[in-house]
Amino acid sequence: MAWKLPRLSRRDFLKVSGAGTAGLSLLSPIGAMVNRATAGTQGPGEQLSYSICNFCSSLCNIQVTTRTVGGEKRVVKLDGNPHSTLNRGKMCARGQAGMRQTYDPDRFKQPLIRVEGSKRGEWKFRAVSWDEAWDYIRRRTDSAAIKPWEWTMIGGWTSCVFYMNWSVPFAMANEIPNIVASPMQHCVTTGHLGTDAVTGNFNIHDEILPDYDNAKYILLLGNNASIGAVSTCRVVRFAEARRRGAKVVALDPRLSETAAKADEWIAIRPGTDLDFCLAILKEMLDKEYYDAEFLRLHSNMPFLVRENESGQWRLLRDAEGRPHALRDGSDIPHALPAFANSNLRTAAGEAFYPVLFAPADMTHEGKRVITVMQAQMEAIAECTPEWAEATTSIPAATLRRIANEFGTTRPAVIDPGWHGARYGNIQMARRVQAMIQALNGGIDKEGGWLMSGEFHHKAAAFVKAKAEGRQLAAPLATLPGLEFANMVIGAVSRGENFSHGYPGWSWAYSAQQKAAGKEWVALPVMADEGLKESVEGKLQWKDKPYRTRALFINAANPVRHYYPDTYWKDMMMHPDMELIICLDVLPSDTTPYVDVILPSSTYLERDEPNLYGNGVNPDLGVVTRYAAVPTLYDTREAPDVLLKMTEIISGNTEGLINSMETLTGVPAAAVREAYARFQKAGHPSAFHDACREVAFEQTAKRLHLTPKALDQALREKGVYYEETWRELLEHAAVPRKIPAMTPSGRIEFYSNLFESLQDMGATAPHFSVLARYFPATCRPDQGMEQPLGDDEFYFAYGKTPTVSYGSTNSNNPVIAAINTLKKDIYTGVWMHPERAAKLGIHNGDRILLTNTLSGQQAEGAAYVTRQVRRDTLFLHSSFGVENPQLTRSFGMGGTATNKLIPHTVEPVVAGFRSQEFTIRVARQAA
Amino acid sequence: MANQHYAMVIDLNTCVGCNACMAACAMENETPVWSNRWRTYVHDLEIGSGDEIRRRFFPRLCNHCDNPPCMSVCPTGATHKLDNGIVLVDDDLCMGCQACAMACPYDARFDFTYDDVRQGREFYGALHHRAGPSVDKCSFCAHRVMQGLKPACVETCVGSSRMFGDLNDPKDPVTRLVASGVAKALLEHLGTRPNVFYIGDIERG
Amino acid sequence: MYYATQEIWTWWLAAYLFLGGLGAAAVTVSILTDLYFKSHKLLVVWGCLGGFVMLGAGSSMLFLHLLHHVAVIHVMNPLILLRKPDAWIAWGTQFITWMMVWSLLYALPYLREMPLFARMPLVGKVLQWSPVTWLSGIVVKFRRVVGWLAVINGVGTVVYTGLLLQSFPAVALWHNPGVPVLFTLSAFSTALAFLLLVLYLVVKDPADRPLQVFYERTDVIVIAAEVVVIFAFFQYTLHGSESARQSSQLLWTNYGWVVGFVLLGLIVPLLIELKAVTRGWRGHGPMVTAALLILSGGYLLRFYFMEAGVYERPYPPHGYSAYRQIQGPTDRAPVLTAIENLQVVTEK
Repeated sequence: MAWKLPRLSRRDFLKVSGAGTAGLSLLSPIGAMVNRATAGTQGPGEQLSYSICNFCSSLCNIQVTTRTVGGEKRVVKLDGNPHSTLNRGKMCARGQAGMRQTYDPDRFKQPLIRVEGSKRGEWKFRAVSWDEAWDYIRRRTDSAAIKPWEWTMIGGWTSCVFYMNWSVPFAMANEIPNIVASPMQHCVTTGHLGTDAVTGNFNIHDEILPDYDNAKYILLLGNNASIGAVSTCRVVRFAEARRRGAKVVALDPRLSETAAKADEWIAIRPGTDLDFCLAILKEMLDKEYYDAEFLRLHSNMPFLVRENESGQWRLLRDAEGRPHALRDGSDIPHALPAFANSNLRTAAGEAFYPVLFAPADMTHEGKRVITVMQAQMEAIAECTPEWAEATTSIPAATLRRIANEFGTTRPAVIDPGWHGARYGNIQMARRVQAMIQALNGGIDKEGGWLMSGEFHHKAAAFVKAKAEGRQLAAPLATLPGLEFANMVIGAVSRGENFSHGYPGWSWAYSAQQKAAGKEWVALPVMADEGLKESVEGKLQWKDKPYRTRALFINAANPVRHYYPDTYWKDMMMHPDMELIICLDVLPSDTTPYVDVILPSSTYLERDEPNLYGNGVNPDLGVVTRYAAVPTLYDTREAPDVLLKMTEIISGNTEGLINSMETLTGVPAAAVREAYARFQKAGHPSAFHDACREVAFEQTAKRLHLTPKALDQALREKGVYYEETWRELLEHAAVPRKIPAMTPSGRIEFYSNLFESLQDMGATAPHFSVLARYFPATCRPDQGMEQPLGDDEFYFAYGKTPTVSYGSTNSNNPVIAAINTLKKDIYTGVWMHPERAAKLGIHNGDRILLTNTLSGQQAEGAAYVTRQVRRDTLFLHSSFGVENPQLTRSFGMGGTATNKLIPHTVEPVVAGFRSQEFTIRVARQAA
Repeated sequence: MANQHYAMVIDLNTCVGCNACMAACAMENETPVWSNRWRTYVHDLEIGSGDEIRRRFFPRLCNHCDNPPCMSVCPTGATHKLDNGIVLVDDDLCMGCQACAMACPYDARFDFTYDDVRQGREFYGALHHRAGPSVDKCSFCAHRVMQGLKPACVETCVGSSRMFGDLNDPKDPVTRLVASGVAKALLEHLGTRPNVFYIGDIERG
Repeated sequence: MYYATQEIWTWWLAAYLFLGGLGAAAVTVSILTDLYFKSHKLLVVWGCLGGFVMLGAGSSMLFLHLLHHVAVIHVMNPLILLRKPDAWIAWGTQFITWMMVWSLLYALPYLREMPLFARMPLVGKVLQWSPVTWLSGIVVKFRRVVGWLAVINGVGTVVYTGLLLQSFPAVALWHNPGVPVLFTLSAFSTALAFLLLVLYLVVKDPADRPLQVFYERTDVIVIAAEVVVIFAFFQYTLHGSESARQSSQLLWTNYGWVVGFVLLGLIVPLLIELKAVTRGWRGHGPMVTAALLILSGGYLLRFYFMEAGVYERPYPPHGYSAYRQIQGPTDRAPVLTAIENLQVVTEK
């Protein structure tokens, strides 16, 4: 090998020859390498700007390096923003590869209109100018006489997170009561609403970021997307936990990325998450593994309940609707404030310290009265570890041990979870998870669940206003947690809010189903439940037909994200569907079915029209995007598109701007003035620019800065921090300092939310006010523990760290290359070798999957691995793209989940029961 | 001032297999993603027998050995080692005989062909900095390191699994991990004296 | 651990190594014969020109294999040996270049004497140019020096091919001193076979009988030595490191190696030549056959050596997508386990 000969190193040589670092630039390629300046410093012609990543809801802050070469400014590199306390300068593969989305040749470069005579589903479009596109839309809208309620907006998660402030005013100004938001039935209202029923939060990821940094014990139930697959802001903290020696226990039917980092991987049977949670809850309650003080003071565990006529537990309330609790040694119920963060004072203002257990044989008006704590324990009396062992296949001793470890190690965290639409009982499981976390007292506390800075900010303002007896202005921008959810629900679910009297068709459909005695969904918030019926003319509202004849799809891919794939395809191809418009960056599986494609710019080409809080960052800060490069193509921004659509649909552009002021607080006069100014200056997206300018003014005012100073601060660092989480907890910790955004202000074991749904007539076990058990049903009349057929499996799916759920990420050439490298693992259908051997299936064999419930079929390639339970098939949802226009995604292979999952929903929010069936597998003949 | 002795420590306990390092390296160093060859890989390995399965994510790259077999076999002197320990390939000198790729025990090198140069121009546009074909490999992002920054993979690693430091600095955390024996190198018996060290996965009970 | 062969240097490079060894040894043997055994114009012309052509072809193959052809200039400059004395390809390039120069010079006077070349269109003219004539005169005067210059470079070329393979430390099959020895022996054996073919089929001079016998006796010794070295390799790899054992598996379960090289390329020619030098054969047939077998064996040796080199790493080779752990052989595993159990995989 290398002989140690004295020799000038190249660097020495260059130094000696007088070429310093600058001179190295004359000597390529070293020179070229040195010239390639990097994060934090700029080489010649390089600039730094800041933005927000666009590829998942972690919303990491990013730093963008650009260079101008030959008059063209190009993005050179993306990095995590080192000044961000959210992602701490780190970024995942999707983010790192992000600029290749901007430079993807498959992007839409100009508006496209369907070629006359071609059918939806066919990729036959012709390029047109924006004027022609608008003209086409106007003509179609007018000639088909589309009524406002016959429009439906569909938004993906980006439009939810970034454009809520325009979408809802748009809905109001145009009197369109219909918004479908794709995250709802998959995460936000399914799993997350379960968590939120206990904590009172809502919006992005429960507005919670667990403080993994300081946790000593971390329990995960699935939730791979939360850590390993991958959420940068969570992993940076999780890794710190690992380094500090935290114990990690991951339950997952397969060895996910997260489970691979756990001290214990427990291969729980799919569909039994609730069974597990309840066993842990019961064990913790029985053995008193809880922070009794926290429960007494800040939860409604001490509240008294008794059964109503229907045998449901109800809080003991007085005429003013106030709950009651008992003092130690007394059986006199005392009224407590209906909304408060603590039970330390009675409604009358007396000092109080409630008990968790009522005296035996206590009654009220002849009925047995106990506490919520007792009622909860009764409700899950059967849920012993032995009971759970049968279904989860986890030994009872292990369950006891986990309950003990979690319950006695403080601080401990159970991960709140991401995707929740797998079984009908996942929402309940999430409720129980939140209860478990609350038993530890780990709510809004170091080492526990920390609420976001933005949430604290809003909650503090809300509580203050409520205390002063006034309502907050600009509810869309200021309401925190469940209050926000209630407002949005209220806005679209009541026909009275609209001059035409039609509520959203999902609400009309629920009413229709209920009236007919059929299964109905209680909270079809931004769900697609009822859309098909509306399109097909099967929906009525107050004896009038409720048709849907026009769709506006903003950054969403419903064909791929909803189940089954034919559901949306059929709707979109229905002869009565007059007009479908989409606004997007890349082709997707949905775009072949539309009539008009409007091209949007990518995140790197855009100054955001607003400033945002820093995602789930517990620190309170302000962020926005700065366009790193000018728009490459003839694209427009969403606010301008919505403004133009308003002009076409109702002409009520003034109403849109006014509605924005009412709902979001953006002063209409300032917006108008700025808009006129930018229009005159010839800006293609003048409205967007105007909104940004006014947003800057508003935010600067709030921060006591000039807009210029704020702009400078953001240009320099990308984030402007107002308060750290420790500072926020001092005065706004929920519920220790201020009330939670639950109806009662406490952490709710007894759910007022579900009580109100029960009072609406919802009777399914999902609506229980307390945690209770009901199983997942993958097969009719058979429990999860019963044996499966020789070729029968349970089904689980998950995310690759490289592709956000079903997104067009997979078309990114860097991402596609990584996926190709790991093709077997990422695109294969995981199957245990013992099962595979019995079925004669070898690694790489083509297999046919059949859904035993719906008969749907899909093909796949087998990946034989021990990393999955014997009774379970697992696959990654990232692949199986149908549209050949996505040149790199198409042909990656893989299996599309929307081909296997039927339209089966649970009755709370129409959450998809997307794993609640079994699959039969057969090897396909070569 | 003493020279640096750059080294990397990779903690397998916090690598979650997200592949961010692969993407970051590719974008930073303009590697040929179209032909799926990389300067660094994150392997996804299954270990164990029976039901005792472990999934290990294993990032690997050029080890910038102190006794690099790739350097001694290089006939043109293209492969050379800087005073700070970084082993580099001078694209201008390299004729691409690939003896270095044969000599490397770590499979760190790959061929960057004429076709890759052409595709690179298309892909990276005017920013493309490669003049001609050669053998390519990880450079510890020398261009960044020489400006006091970390390599792109280290900078972005979401789990902070990759750590970069100077073994000549006794206070450097990387130095302490190596000196204590917690972090171990690969294939040491071959005498390559590599400078990438691994902290093994925690044993599970 | 993962075990993998490589696909960077395969049959193409094996051809280069073969032609390099054969050509250089042919030059060496033919010149030494001419200097010390008996003057032999045709042998030198065939040996040196043949060597020239073979090295030219082999070098072209190596050149074409390069990624960046133009940069080959950096290794052609002899001063490279001062910068990179540890790089065998640098030495090899110089050895080959100078061997080709000196051997061509050595053959020059003979070429000028042959009507065949005098009659060739351009070549004939060039051979009569005054600078060439002058050069030829110098060579004749300093015949021994020129010859030895060619021989030294020739031997350098022969040995370098083995040293080159030895310089790759990760592969047990290659990283040992047996390889240069083996390649040297093999090169000389193939050169002797080649020159025997020339003597038997081209020159056909009964006066060359002693020379033929000398070559055949020498070859018997060389091949016998090769057999010993192969056997030593067999032992070395059989109970050696994991890399060695895997290489052993690949070789000794492969018909191409066992039959093609060991049997037909070594044993059978050895036996034929043994009979030739003891009891003798009635025609040239057997000897010619043996020579051809030796030549094919020479190529197969290098081919299988490249193919059977195994790298041991804690991860699979890049670009390989099915990640599986090898169930490694235990201490108690039988010596020659079936190839299926070892899942040796190839790169790319």
